[in-house]
Amino acid sequence: MNTSRHTRLAVLGTLSDLHRQPIAYDLNCLRALVADLAPDLLCAEITREAWEGGNLSTAALEVREALAPVVAATDIVLVPVLPTSKQYADFTPATGWHRDLVRTFDRLLQWGQRAADRPEAVNGALFGAFCHTLCALTELMWTAEDRAAWEAQNRALAENIVQAVRRDIGRRVLVAVQCQRKHWLDARLRREADVELVDYWEL
Amino acid sequence: MDHPSITVAISGRYPLDRAGLAALVASLPGLRVVPPESSPPPRVLLWECGEKLSADLPRSLPGMAILLIVGEIESPILPPGVAGLFSKDEKPEALGVAIRQVARGEQYLSPSLALALLARGEAEAAPHDFDMSILTDRERQILALLGEGLSNKAIAARLYLSVRTVEGHLANLYTRLRVHSRTEAALVAIRHGLASKVR
Repeated sequence: MNTSRHTRLAVLGTLSDLHRQPIAYDLNCLRALVADLAPDLLCAEITREAWEGGNLSTAALEVREALAPVVAATDIVLVPVLPTSKQYADFTPATGWHRDLVRTFDRLLQWGQRAADRPEAVNGALFGAFCHTLCALTELMWTAEDRAAWEAQNRALAENIVQAVRRDIGRRVLVAVQCQRKHWLDARLRREADVELVDYWEL
Repeated sequence: MDHPSITVAISGRYPLDRAGLAALVASLPGLRVVPPESSPPPRVLLWECGEKLSADLPRSLPGMAILLIVGEIESPILPPGVAGLFSKDEKPEALGVAIRQVARGEQYLSPSLALALLARGEAEAAPHDFDMSILTDRERQILALLGEGLSNKAIAARLYLSVRTVEGHLANLYTRLRVHSRTEAALVAIRHGLASKVR
C-alpha cells in the first residue's frame, strides 16, 4: 500500500507523572508540538485495554490531557504500546541506604523537572544527560528483580513499537514516552533496519 | 515542522451557531478560521443548514470543499457540490477529523448518518455481483468497517494504521469493486454481510 520501505521515527521524551511531581511545563506546548509534527502514528504510553476501553484514568497526565485530545481532533492515530500500567516510580527500594540515596536522586530529578519547563528542554542535551545519569544511578539502587521487570517492560514496549512500524511501513511515527525510557528506546530502535531514527524536530 | 493550516469559513443562518462553530474550529489544531468571502477561497466551508438540506445551499468554488452541519435529516444523501455531512450528534472534536477528510478531497458522512442511510434498505439495491475473493484480508477488513459507517480516521484508529494507508486501501477497493463512492462501497459490504463480521 505504501511504497516507501523506510519508517521515520522519533522518540519524544515527556516528563509524565515521573516521581509524582506536578508537571512543570505547560501542556499546551506539548499539544501544539504534537499537532504541528502531525505524525501518522503516535505511539503512547497507555495499555491497549485502557485505550480501547476509553479508560484514561490510569494513563499519565500527558496522555490524558495533551495527547488524547490532539488525537481526537486530528488525523493522528494513537497506538497504545504500554505493556503494563506499572510506572517508573513503582520501582523503589523499600529500606536502607539504597532508599535514602534514591530519595536524594529523586529530589535532584524534581529540581531538574522544574527547570525543564518545555518539551524542547526535556529533550535537550543538557537535561537528557542529567536525567539519564540520575535515572541510571536510581536503577542501580533497585533490587535485581525490579531491574529485570523494568528491562522486561522496556523490551515489551519496544516490541509493540516495532510491531506498529511493521504493520504500516513507511509512515512517520512519533513515540511519546517518559523521558527515562528515551535513551534505552533510542538504542534499541536504532538497531531496526527499516527504521530511520531521527530527532523529533526532524520528523 | 510547520504545516500550513487548513483555512475554514463558517456560514449558516444563525449568528449564535456561526459563533459557536468558529470558536470550536479555532480551538482545533491545524485549522484557521477565515471569512467566507476571503481570497483565495477557504479550503473548507462549514455550513450550518438546519433541517432541510436543499435550503439555501452555498455555491461551490474550485478548491473549496463544503461540509454541512446537520441535525436529524430525512435523507442523508450528499447534495451536489457537497463533500460531507457532519451530524450534530458527533463529538465536537470529531469536526477536526471531518474537516481534514473533506479538505483532502474525500467524502465525509457521520457514522450515525451513514448507518441511517444503510438502514433504509438500500443495500438490497446495491450491486452484488462482486467476487470478494479478489480482495485481500486487509481490504475486506476495511470494507467491513466502512459498512459500519466508520470514517477513515475511525477505521485507521480501529486497525492502528495511518489514515493515509486506509485511504490507499479504499482507493484500491473502489477500483476493484468498480464503485465510485464510499456509500456504494459500504452498500456492497452490507449486501455481502461483511459489516457484521468485524463486530
